[in-house]
Amino acid sequence: MTPSGHGPTVIELPNDRDVVISREFEAPIALVFDVLTNPEHVSKWFAGPGEEMKECSIDLRVGGSYHFVFLTSDRREMSFRGTYLEVDPPTRTVETWLFEGRPHGDAIESQDLHESQGVTTLTVKLVFSEAAGRPTRFEGMQESFARIDDVVRSLLQQGGVSLGR
Amino acid sequence: MARASTTSDVFNAVAEPHRREILDALIAGEKAVGAIVHDLALSQPQVSKHLRVLGEVGLVRCRIDGRRRLYRLEPTRLRPFHEWLSKYERAWKDRLDRMDDYVRELKQQGGRL
Repeated sequence: MTPSGHGPTVIELPNDRDVVISREFEAPIALVFDVLTNPEHVSKWFAGPGEEMKECSIDLRVGGSYHFVFLTSDRREMSFRGTYLEVDPPTRTVETWLFEGRPHGDAIESQDLHESQGVTTLTVKLVFSEAAGRPTRFEGMQESFARIDDVVRSLLQQGGVSLGR
Repeated sequence: MARASTTSDVFNAVAEPHRREILDALIAGEKAVGAIVHDLALSQPQVSKHLRVLGEVGLVRCRIDGRRRLYRLEPTRLRPFHEWLSKYERAWKDRLDRMDDYVRELKQQGGRL
């Protein structure tokens, strides 16, 4: 637990196409699944401070679609949409994921939930259709940088190594 | 005239797996070419070629010590990637923290299930 009382969010880039995010919640799996997939709930937490949720629709069934739109604090519209490929409450959903307006920004997303001793672990995996689609600011960068995050993290863990100014 | 190093140069430099291995090998500290060759089972010409590319974008620096050329990592050049990763991690962490706060609220209200 961090001082804020939140558990850690772990992000891994295991290869040049995948992003895996995991997080624990001290709550039963059914509640976490509902908060993740019921639009009434999602609209309460998806957008951050200064952001505004404009659309939050979820048709939670295989072949059903979802659409989230929010405005950033500088009034840019961010739109995510997709179609459910698997729906298996309360443990799993798989859906297409498209960040609109981002070239190659499409992926297959899976959300897996697992409960143990009252703690539910959520694992979100995004598999991008090509490496360049990973949401990087460095568009046009075609090659893999799969392990560079390990290098960066190793450096940060070395005492005395500073990324400087 | 020297070509200006750009962000994409750094990313192209680290896109090559052997060059990432060289960066990994240098995390432990400054090394001579021979030591890198020994660590990675690459030929000396291959290692020298990769070190040249890494040096051109400023990811490694070289100094002469007698007859040896010693290479060390220049981590400041990894900042652009680090900044991207931090921003991306921050966005996910913030969103999941908000979800967590909301889950706690619901739990206190009796679940609303």
